[in-house]
Formats: sequence, C-alpha cells, structure tokens
Amino acid sequence: MKFRLVLTLLLVRSAAAVAGAADIPALWAERVKAVVAVEFYVETETDRHPALSYGTVIDRNGTIILPSAAVDPRVSADQLKDFKIHRAGESSSVPGEYLGQDNLTGWHFVRADASLRGELTPITDFAVKSGTTSPVPALAEEVWGIGLRGKDEDFMPYILVSRIGLIQSLPQRSAIALHEVAAPGLPVFNNEGVFLGLATSSFGQSYLQFSRPERGAVPVVLVNVEESSVFPLADEVLPYLNRIPKNVDGRPLAWLGAYGLEPIDPDVAQFMKLETQGALVISEVLEGSPAEKAGLKDHDIIVALDGRPLPRLKPASVVVSYVDRELAKRQPGDTLAVTVVRGTQSERQEVKVLLGDEPKLIREAGRKYFDRLGLTVREFVYGDAVSLRVKTSEATGVIAHFVKPNSPVAIAGLHTDDWIKEIDGVEVGNFDMAVARLAAIEADRDRAEFVILASRGGQTAVLRIKLK
Amino acid sequence: MPARGAMSRGFTQLLDAVVRIDVREVTFEDGGKRFEASIGSGVILSADGLVLTNAHVASRRAVEINITLPKPDNKNLTPGETVGAKLVGWDHWTDLALLRIDLDEVKRRGLKFAHAELGDSDKLFPGETVYAVGTPYGLTRTVTRGIISNTNRYFEDDTGVDGYETGSFNTWLQTDAAINPGNSGGPLVTEDGKVVGINSRAYLGADNLGFAIPVSTARRIVAALVQDGAVTRSYIGLVPGVLRDLESFYSLAVDTGMLINSVEAGSPAARTGLRAGDILLAINDQKVDGRFPEQLPSIQNLIASQPVGATLKLTVKRGGDTRDYPVVTEKLESRVGEQWAFEKWGLSVRKVSRTDAREGQLSDDTGVLVIGVQSGFPADVAGLTRGDVITKINQQPITTLEVIKNAYDDYDAKPAPTLLEAQRFRRVSLYILKP
Repeated sequence: MKFRLVLTLLLVRSAAAVAGAADIPALWAERVKAVVAVEFYVETETDRHPALSYGTVIDRNGTIILPSAAVDPRVSADQLKDFKIHRAGESSSVPGEYLGQDNLTGWHFVRADASLRGELTPITDFAVKSGTTSPVPALAEEVWGIGLRGKDEDFMPYILVSRIGLIQSLPQRSAIALHEVAAPGLPVFNNEGVFLGLATSSFGQSYLQFSRPERGAVPVVLVNVEESSVFPLADEVLPYLNRIPKNVDGRPLAWLGAYGLEPIDPDVAQFMKLETQGALVISEVLEGSPAEKAGLKDHDIIVALDGRPLPRLKPASVVVSYVDRELAKRQPGDTLAVTVVRGTQSERQEVKVLLGDEPKLIREAGRKYFDRLGLTVREFVYGDAVSLRVKTSEATGVIAHFVKPNSPVAIAGLHTDDWIKEIDGVEVGNFDMAVARLAAIEADRDRAEFVILASRGGQTAVLRIKLK
Repeated sequence: MPARGAMSRGFTQLLDAVVRIDVREVTFEDGGKRFEASIGSGVILSADGLVLTNAHVASRRAVEINITLPKPDNKNLTPGETVGAKLVGWDHWTDLALLRIDLDEVKRRGLKFAHAELGDSDKLFPGETVYAVGTPYGLTRTVTRGIISNTNRYFEDDTGVDGYETGSFNTWLQTDAAINPGNSGGPLVTEDGKVVGINSRAYLGADNLGFAIPVSTARRIVAALVQDGAVTRSYIGLVPGVLRDLESFYSLAVDTGMLINSVEAGSPAARTGLRAGDILLAINDQKVDGRFPEQLPSIQNLIASQPVGATLKLTVKRGGDTRDYPVVTEKLESRVGEQWAFEKWGLSVRKVSRTDAREGQLSDDTGVLVIGVQSGFPADVAGLTRGDVITKINQQPITTLEVIKNAYDDYDAKPAPTLLEAQRFRRVSLYILKP
C-alpha cells in the first residue's frame, strides 16, 4: 500500500515537471518553420541524378545552409541544377538558387524564392541574442530536434528526443547525444526551445551481425544517414552564418601548400616530448606553394600556429581538421607563423608563411564533353600534378574526366582519370588546345581514326580510336 | 613393333624420369616466418640428377625439397623412394627452376633413376598429340592426353609467379591435355616420349586450357642456371606495344618495327631520350617486328639477352625522322625485393624495388614494404599495416635491408623504443615500436 502511494507521488511529480517546462508542441510548431527539404539534380554528361538534402533557414532572405556532404566535392557548381525548396510537410515547392560552399564550415548555401520567405523562420529567432553566449547543454540534459520523412511522405517533420552523453572538441565543440536527435543539417533545441546546435553527419555505430546457420558474430559498422546524434554547439554555428559565399566557387581561399598532414599518435608524442599538445607531420611541401617559398620542408612537424601550440585533441586526427579550419579562417595575403620541429633537431623554428591563393580546384576546372568520341576532357589543374606526382612544369595535357561506356574512346581502352598527353602524336599543351583538336576530330565525319597517348599509373600507352 | 596398346619405348622410359616434388618453403606474409608445404612435379634431365620443374613449385624460399623417384621399369606407375634435393637456381620470368637430386643419398641407398630426352618444341604443330605427366592433386604419376592447341600463346603476368613477373620473354605452348594443380613442373611430351614443354599453368574453371613453357626456352634457361644459378638479363626500360592497325598512322610498312608504349622514368631508355610513341625499328641493326602481341616476347628477349652494361644501338623512328640512339643496358631487377621477418616486432617486410617505387609513387627505392604484421605484436600495436613503406628507422634512411636488420639486432640485444617513419599513400606518419 505504502509502495503504491510512493509511486503515485512520483507520477504526479514528473507530470508537474513537464508542465513546468515550456510547451514542447507549441515550441515545435514554430521551430519546424526553420527547416526545409532541398531537392536538386546533379547533371553529368549522360545522366541526371536526383539529390536530396535537409537544410536550416538562417535569415529573412530565405537563405538556407546544407551540410557539406550534400554535394560530392568533385561535382562542379554548374552541374547542380533545378534546386527546389520544400517546407516541412509540404508537397509543393519553390525554386532555389545555389550560392556556393563556404570553405570553413563546409556548408552549402541556397536561397529560396521570395514567395516562400514569409513562411520561413530563421533559426536565429530561436537563438540567444547575438553577443551573448549560447547555452551549453548539461550532461544527461534532455534535448530535442527535428527529423524529416521522405518525399513520398511530403517531408513530414517528426520529433527526436535524446540526452547529452558527451561534449567533445572535434575540433568544434560538439555534443554527442545518446541516440539520434536530428536529421543531419537540422537544429537541436533544449526544452525551453533555445537553439543548441546543428546536427552533422552521424557517426558509424558498431553492431554484431549474426546469421542463423553460423553462430559467430561479425562486427559491422552501420551509419544512419537520415538521423544523427552529433551536433556542433550553437556557438560553433551562429558566428559563421554570415559566411554566405561571395561567388559560387567560395573564393577567396587561403593556400599553405602542406600536403598530407598526419597527426602524431600519443606514443610518438611522448617519445618526442610533445605529449601535452598536438603535432602534425607535413608529408610533402608542395612545389611552388607558399609553404615552400617560406622554407618549410617535407616531414617538418608542425607544433604551433601564430605562436599558439596546436591543441591536444582526441582522437589525434581531429588536429588535422583544427589546422584546416585555422587556414580556412584566413585570407590569401595573410601571414601565418608556423612553428615546426625538423628532423632530429629538437629545436623549434618559426617560419612565417605568406598565404597564397588556392590554385584552381578540380571542381573549378574547365570541362568539355565530346559526345561522338565519348569523353569529357578536363583542364589539368594543380591538384592533378600533385596526385600524379609530376612537376607543374611537366604538367601539360588534359584529364579524361568522363569516359562514356562502349564509346569509341572506351573501346580503345581509355579510362576515366587517364591523363591524355598527346593527340595524333602531337603534345596536347593546354586545355584549349585539346578542346580545339578534339572538336576538329569530332566535326570531321570523314575521319576514320585518331590516336591518343594516355598515361595511367605512371605508364603510357598509345590508343587507336576507331571512328568508323 | 610394340605390343597392342603399348606406348613407345621412349614414352615408357620417360615415365621413369617423372618425379613428384614435395617442397617446404618459408613465407613471410604474416609478420613472422611460417612454413608452407606444396606438391608439384618435375622431370629428371640427366644422369647427374638435374631435375627441371616450375619456379612456382620450388623457389629460393624452399627450405626442404624431397623428390619421389619412380620405381624403375614400373609399368603400374606406383611411386618409389623419396630422396632429398637442392635448388640449383630459379627463373620466375620463365617459371622454371632447376634442382639437383642428392646423389650421395642415391648412391648410399642404392637407388636408380632414368632421365628424359628433350625434343624440339619448334617443330610442334597445332593438333599434334601430346601427353602431360605429373602429380595432379597429389595423384602421383598421372598421364593425361591432348593435343597442341596453340604453339605460340602470348601470356604475360606482372605477378604471375608468387607475386613475381612472368611471360615477358617467352611465349607458351597451349594444350588441352588436362592440367591440374600439382601438374606444375611436369613434362609435356610427344608420343615418342620426348619432352617438348614444362606444364605450368591452366585456367581454373575452364575446360582444358593448359599452358607449358616450350623446351626451346627451357634449354637456354637450364644452361644458364647450371652455369650461374641464375639468369642475368638486361634492362633498358621500354614497355612495348603492338603496331597492328597503326601502320598507316606511323607511315610504316606492314611488319616493321615495334611501338614503344611507355618509357620507364629514370631508365636507360628515358635517359637517352626515347619517348612513348616512338617506333623501334632495329636493335644493333637487327630488324624487329612487333605487329602482334605474340611477337613481343622475342624482341624483349633480344634486349634481355644482351650483356649487362653493353651499349645497344637502337634505331628509332619518330615522326618523319629516323635516328640511332645508344643505350647502355642495366641489370634487370624483379619487382619483388628480398623478404625478411623481424619476429619480435611481429613485422615482415620486403625491400622496396624499382617497380614498387614507380607504382607507389615513391620518390626512390629507399625503404621496406610491410608485407605482414602479427596481431598484438609491437608493429601492430604501433599502428603499422600491410602496404606501409617504412623509410626511416631511428632517423636513419633505410637504403638497404641491412639498415633495418642492424636496428633489429640492436633492439634484440637491448630492447628500447624505436622510432619509425613510414608512408601510406604518400602520407608520412611516425610510429614507435615499444618493447
């Protein structure tokens, strides 16, 4: 009897606790207006692939941010077509415009057509006033966020509730909830409805896979792509909402030219007496880069930037993101002081690097598709010289960016990513020369064949392409 | 006249010269030394006990070789006595190895053996009846019959013999006589019992597509292995291509020249200025014809059989110009460097070869490639994995295998944390091996 009484009391108390907090359904109804589903197409030479991402509204101009994973980094901005913005739970959509990607946050920015703007509420309406610090959820605090169903269910919003398990620097201060708390790219709130952070891509989770006939279990990692349990905190989001790209390529981009930054694991750090801080090995200092001009060398170990030791972050690989972000915060023309340990010398030296402009990226390179020949050639960019390990002075030719299956060039043996060095026995030179030559071949209906010298994996081959 | 159903006297004698070979060899793939046993076939070539087999049956890693001799005059093909043997030499390029039977043991035990006679593989014709003799799946002295399906099959494989290259310098006989695992190293013979090939490979899952090294190739290799224990070849760094259908593009007469598809960076051919797309017309005034793939191995062999360090005159056509290029040959190296295991580290490695360096985009052939780590041992705990290239140990560049062997000896004598620098896909990381 006594037992039952206690139980009743407990029930009453917990009901009171909920009633004492804000009214979640009411908060929900307002905050759902800050999320949208964004549909678009990625257009390739022969196909159009539909893509879908979820985004959060950041201002009254209908600007929306999508997580970085929304777009494949190899895809160029002009391949992204037909953006459509859906409000949560709405089958109808309005057109959107792609504004580009911000290098620091990785966010893609999209702007919704003016007709929808009145229906949307920016996430900033639910954040603390600018200038004040956003609340950091406490360990075990209950938090909630928004998920969206698929297109066939009109992107119906639903609530996800979880508790905070851990707060970690990744390198942004991020909360990791006990289970999924929002769709990637969508906001998380506390029970007062205050914006706490924006969910990123989820972590993989290990499961054991059993099958009926075999009793042993194999661990498999599963990733929930529709919902995430990780969200960088509001103070890692709100200050960056103004980083709307000035152009679709997201330039200017600061460039250091230190390739393959690899973290030092705790054992090595201890051996090198660097256990209290982070450190990164530079695998290669790139030719002609600001790093090379400033005198950085291959295998230098970076220990500080602008006099500040690299933080000791866990896992150690997060230090790489930390340095990438430090670079992304800077502009070409800025000076960055890089402190390194070199070889056996335990002495540190500071190298002042005048950051340059990032060379043209693959996604910005010129491309041209030749339907009859069956390939897209792409301008040879700095990144190609790096990945093929050739000197930029030797970097002539073009890259076979796409090879159409069963086309004349495919039958002759050309593969995607082959490096085309000669056409008809003549060196290709630059992109424009390659395009002019291939255009002439494509236009010449009497042409029976042509010959390409292509390089793959450090070996070349003469390919004869039969046109009739 | 032989009796009804009987084979020729020569064939019966051949059966007495075919042996089963049991090999135990050391392997380094798992982070330590392991032993692996396998069975193959072989044919006795001479009264002084030379046995010819495949390089993939008995290699330099063999630690124990046993040969099961046939019982002399044994019409029922039951196996006879087993004696020891030693490797004389091997040549993975042609997939041939030469063994010598322990003659002291033979004498001590009063054993006898016959030897086979070699035929002329150049005279074979498609459709000619041939027999394969060997030990398929351990079934000692199995005879199968078929015909010559092709006398000149081109088959090149960069990793075809235990990870080593094969087939660049010879073509193969193709037969439909059943060839199964264990037949390797056994002879392919004509009806008179004369050896025309050494069976070496077959397409598994296909119906009777078997391949044998022609005895014309084997004669040369045997002579070199008897003399030097190895076949020394020359290298200039040309990768050939076929000219078929390209003659008009290069303004060439048909059946003239060999296309240079690729020139390996840093090779003698690259240094003298040869380029991909050049046409090689002659080597030391000897004209070459590489119109079809089957013709490439003999051209490659012509280059390979020049003395190391010799200056070759290559006549090369580029566009409208034809001129001679002098090329000084270098010694041909295999893609697989020397292997070793550091047991206390749980780490097995092989020396980075020129081919490894080229394919892995390494700046040079400094370093050792990790081919195995043993779970829970220092190399594994430090985070090294198969495929990593260790370039420095305690800040010292690993220019030879000796450098890391010496460091291991120091560690073995007095274990202390050891710093390694290694690359994985060109990304450099540091590792500590902790006692």
